[in-house]
Amino acid sequence: MSHAEPSPALLTAADREAPRPRRRLSPATAARIALIPATVITVVCFYAFIAWTFVISLTRSRLLPVYDFVGFDQYRRLFANARWWTAMENLAIHGTLFIVGCTLAGYALAILIDRGVRAESVFRTIFMLPLSMSFIVTGVIWQWLLNPTFGIQDAVRDLGWTDFVFNWIVRQDRAIYTLAIAGVWQQVGLCMALFLAGLRGIDPNIWKATRVDGIPTWRVYLHIITPMLRPVFFTVVVLLAALVMKAFDLVVALTGGGPGFASDLPARFVVDHILNRQELGLGAAGAFMMLCTIAAVIAPYLYVELRKSRGGR
Amino acid sequence: MHRTLRRAGLVSAVAMAAMGMAAGLGGPAAAAAPTAEVLNCWTSGGESAALAEVRAAFTARGGVWKDTPVAGCSNARAAAVNRMIGGDAPPIFQFSIGEQLKELAEQGLLGDIDGPAKAANWDALLPPMIAQVAKHDGRYIAAPVNIHGENWMFYNAAVLERAGVAVPGSWPEFLEAAGTLKGKGVTPIALGGQPWQERILFNTVLLGVGGRDHYARIYGDLDRAAMESETTLEAFRTFAALRGFVDEGSPGRRWNEATAMLIRGDAAFQFQGDWVKGEMVAAGIEPGTAVGCALAPARDTAYIMAVDAFAFSRSRDAQAQAAQTLMAEVLLDPAVQVAFNRRKGSIPIRNDVDGTGFDACARLAMETLKDTKTHLVSTGLFGVSSSVSGAIDDAISQFWNNPSMTPENGRALFIRSIADAR
Repeated sequence: MSHAEPSPALLTAADREAPRPRRRLSPATAARIALIPATVITVVCFYAFIAWTFVISLTRSRLLPVYDFVGFDQYRRLFANARWWTAMENLAIHGTLFIVGCTLAGYALAILIDRGVRAESVFRTIFMLPLSMSFIVTGVIWQWLLNPTFGIQDAVRDLGWTDFVFNWIVRQDRAIYTLAIAGVWQQVGLCMALFLAGLRGIDPNIWKATRVDGIPTWRVYLHIITPMLRPVFFTVVVLLAALVMKAFDLVVALTGGGPGFASDLPARFVVDHILNRQELGLGAAGAFMMLCTIAAVIAPYLYVELRKSRGGR
Repeated sequence: MHRTLRRAGLVSAVAMAAMGMAAGLGGPAAAAAPTAEVLNCWTSGGESAALAEVRAAFTARGGVWKDTPVAGCSNARAAAVNRMIGGDAPPIFQFSIGEQLKELAEQGLLGDIDGPAKAANWDALLPPMIAQVAKHDGRYIAAPVNIHGENWMFYNAAVLERAGVAVPGSWPEFLEAAGTLKGKGVTPIALGGQPWQERILFNTVLLGVGGRDHYARIYGDLDRAAMESETTLEAFRTFAALRGFVDEGSPGRRWNEATAMLIRGDAAFQFQGDWVKGEMVAAGIEPGTAVGCALAPARDTAYIMAVDAFAFSRSRDAQAQAAQTLMAEVLLDPAVQVAFNRRKGSIPIRNDVDGTGFDACARLAMETLKDTKTHLVSTGLFGVSSSVSGAIDDAISQFWNNPSMTPENGRALFIRSIADAR
């Protein structure tokens, strides 16, 4: 860290050229300046619009935003709306099935591939392919497959099982489950890839040690590997939870919220009320309740997980 | 809000004036041509061909038409409203007549076309019911262009003949015919199971069972006593009886797929608006021949009208204003009315247009509408807000798709949904 002393002649020459040495920004300041645009965009496009949505939800706005405040009247109307509660109930059912289904199926596929199947890359590609499709395409494909008059039901009946019934998509009490089927089918590849990366990151010495101790493979997975993959589970659950809240295109393409509004989801409720029914205030109230729901579900989980990972370090 | 909108309008007007001046420097002759952007949602084959007729007439009279098609009419309405709030309103835009348009007018966002309307004497030409809702404070704010009918019953003539069934003239007759058809392995009703299509079927039944006065009391006045009446319950009973005559694949089906079932002969009847004629023409069938049309069975003759319309934003640009006036004149021009509506599958909004050249169904509609007592509309044109009509759709669809719901439950749900949404 030692510098050669500059010669006096050089120093004076430099002084003549530039009377004062240029002030350099500290790295922290530079970083802060660099972050300003991103911060402004986040604050304006995210928090400001959340605040605006909340303000609108307190007004009686219908087609156009008007600032005529009616207190929590829109929330009262929202909570009295049967369709909203169907949508919220569906969100809980779909969310649980989708997250649990994707995680378990993805983990199981990852373990099977990790056990060293032949032609591993072929299977990996097959499981990853649905991910390259949008939710709209997925919805349309499954709408055809599930349609009782020309889908799976019809195909199986043609094979001879004439009593076969698989008409969930047209039944009010079952339509919501078809959403989870299509959703899991599409996203399972992503979960598998994440888990596979986690499994490949496990120290081979652990496997050697368990083999020396003669522990059965399933117990190694259950009691040793799974706890070690905790951060991966965390990532998977957060990613899937975000997809659940955003689920809009899938339900539009697959069931259109029907039959009736039996498979409606909050996001579709909000878009429908704002764009088609000119109920800006009611839609905004619904959107704000969606935010509260995410916050209520995700915040405690984030808190616990992040504190644990910080404490462990 | 009002003031901000005004200010936004002023800014855009200044900008437009500046642009107008810039254009004026280029050549005074070009600046005089009536020029306007036309935002519309007619993107399908038959629809854009119909609009092309209007555009040709508009251009022939010296107008400059800047086309802005938006796929999906609710998207087009949202786009028009957003641009109006942003101060960049399209001078001419397609919009549905009703509560929403009145709200825009109240905010001072619309220009009126009362001049050309008075000059052409729209009051005498338009169906009185339509003329009334197309006005705000006594001045026309929209130009209706056509009349579609919602209470049609289309049928595959060959299928009915093979089953030995006559075209039913009442709902009990229909139920009997449907039973016979089902026994022969034909799907009696091709239904697209989306809420708006289920509502069209319900409204057809309600009109059929209750008659036009009952229908008008329910949708026009939202009259609670009428809703609670035995007649309404009877309509729900008939509607519930139809559940068994629809195939299993109905939920979520689009209307044109249902029409395809009818054309192929997989199904015998379809209750839909007369826009389905476009599918028949595309399949090479003249409506009223192999696929027949009749007004759905009803106590007394009535025609539930649905109207497409254009509205005009407030503008201070002389070219745009000239274009708006020209558009209002062109849209209602008798020759344009004939050319446009023959392609669109609807009938002219003017009551003085001759029916030659139109198909049998359109001629039947024109004949029916000569008696103003037959004039009915659906919720939107009655001035019912879109939140209430949405709630009605929800209730009907909920009832239709839940076979365990009794007609009494259905009527109660219908009444409650309307009360909550008001």
